Amino acid sequence: MKSLTKTLFLFLFLLQTVHAIEVIDILGGKANELAVAVIPFADDDTDNEKNQIHNVIKSDLSRSGFFRIIKTEGVKSLPTHTNQVDYTFWSGLKAELLVIGRVEKNDQQIKVTYDLVDVFKEKLIISTEYSGSLKQARQIGHQISNVIYEKITGTPGVFHTKIGYVQKVNNNKFHLNVSDMDGFNPKSVVISNQPIISTRWSPDGEKIAYVSFEQKKPVIFVQNLKTGDRKLVANFKGNNSSPAWSPDSKKLAIVLTYNAFSQIYIMDVDGNNVQRLMRSRSIDTEPVWAPDGKSIFFVSDRGGGPQIYTIDLATEQVRRVTFEGKYNVSPRLSPDGKLLTFITNDNGSYKVAVQNLISNQVMRLTKGRNDEAPVFSPNGHMVLYTAKESDKVTALKTVSLNGFKQQLIDTGPLSNQEATWSPIDF
Amino acid sequence: MNKLFYAGIAFALLAGCSSTPLNDANAPSDAKAGSASDRTSDLGLDKLRSDSLLTQRSVYFDFDKFEVKPEYLDVVNAHAQYAADHPGVKMTLKGHADYRGSHEYNLSLGQKRSVSVKNVMNTSGANDAQIETVSYGEEEANQNCQGKECDQDRRVDISYEVE
Repeated sequence: MKSLTKTLFLFLFLLQTVHAIEVIDILGGKANELAVAVIPFADDDTDNEKNQIHNVIKSDLSRSGFFRIIKTEGVKSLPTHTNQVDYTFWSGLKAELLVIGRVEKNDQQIKVTYDLVDVFKEKLIISTEYSGSLKQARQIGHQISNVIYEKITGTPGVFHTKIGYVQKVNNNKFHLNVSDMDGFNPKSVVISNQPIISTRWSPDGEKIAYVSFEQKKPVIFVQNLKTGDRKLVANFKGNNSSPAWSPDSKKLAIVLTYNAFSQIYIMDVDGNNVQRLMRSRSIDTEPVWAPDGKSIFFVSDRGGGPQIYTIDLATEQVRRVTFEGKYNVSPRLSPDGKLLTFITNDNGSYKVAVQNLISNQVMRLTKGRNDEAPVFSPNGHMVLYTAKESDKVTALKTVSLNGFKQQLIDTGPLSNQEATWSPIDF
Repeated sequence: MNKLFYAGIAFALLAGCSSTPLNDANAPSDAKAGSASDRTSDLGLDKLRSDSLLTQRSVYFDFDKFEVKPEYLDVVNAHAQYAADHPGVKMTLKGHADYRGSHEYNLSLGQKRSVSVKNVMNTSGANDAQIETVSYGEEEANQNCQGKECDQDRRVDISYEVE
């Protein structure tokens, strides 16, 4: 258990000692997964779906990259209480952890009890009970995953959080949807006849900023998720795009063109006090605030092709950040500000990459060909992105930093773009 | 700037004439028809619709490039000359990019392309105030293009307000 906690730590910090800048491709590595058998819970037939809670936990743990799910199909005696566990049998299957549990239904209410068991130590790690309505069965499953995740990794899980994304419906409608992070329970919060791009969830969780083309050119709206109100916050001459929230959710960095190239401005969220961040004779776009609020990362083609730079807001010093490859766009930072994810063009294939900002080591997390819009999970352990394979729909996927596990977010048969992720305390 | 201002006033007056409800018995009976055809000839719309260069409305670009290629200079200069000759016209240069890469960078790239066309037009005498540059990035591009198919998505479209 302890060795696993160390794994991510090593991934993040071993890299500091690597001096040669060499891009590493790691695809679907099996590094340090913990083998877990999630046993179907007794009477888990909530919401007309058999084993719903069991399936939620399996999917969550698998997605995280920290766990390898041991198949339990065909196993004759599946324990639902700790006193039923045959430790010799499960250690024979190389299971390191067991998740067992049971559901009690009472009219529309359920009570879910689960146990996390260490097979080798033959010891109960944690046991918790949740109550809720039948409709909350999935949420309870996500909460159980969160507790298991935090017990094992030492970092809070994000399985209860929400994502936002733009779905193309019938090729002529654009829905800004909010759903659970695994794609379940989608709700449309904005529907438009024109494209929507650049969705950005505010750090306080209350709003989503986005760019709409409904005024025959790009303008910036802020959608309030609590009240349902939306507000046009930037409609200046030319293009208005690429909103980025300040860490306190009070300001937006935006990109305006007037009659020239894209340039970065900062304004209050209500659209007042617009101030130009810097002047360049190049494209400056895709700003993103560092979590400490002291600098802004952005894309510029001032050196020829698009690369990622950072500007210190106090000194206005600009520094180039990416050097590998000729095309690096869409920067986003991990919550601790130590990792940068972005899209890199690798010989015509657009892939999700991560750069350690201390060592500058770059790793490509996906194999392309048309991956876009990466964003860190609110605990920094996963990256959400869109992936398009030729002649197929553009899918939402996550890739874990530990083990580089790629997993689909099932949103049905429609194409998606421009995803965003809610904060962790949503 | 001044030229455009006066042209604007002239239009306002013409428009006022043609729509005035006053019945002036002394006014020539063909005044309305006259003002309408004046307007057409003022803007040279016939030429805009028939000239072999002016009927070309798209300028194409190489991948991740924004420079106007030499083969499009004749078309761009013809539109610039047309704008210079008709200070009352307003045109929009709408930049586009193919679907590859990020939506936002493509929006900026489309804009850079439209500004690049505008800059060529400026040197050929077109007034900045006559030209609006906008970008649609990859939003109208073929999201499944392959190889040469994608070439037509990297372009700037020239359109006129009067049309």
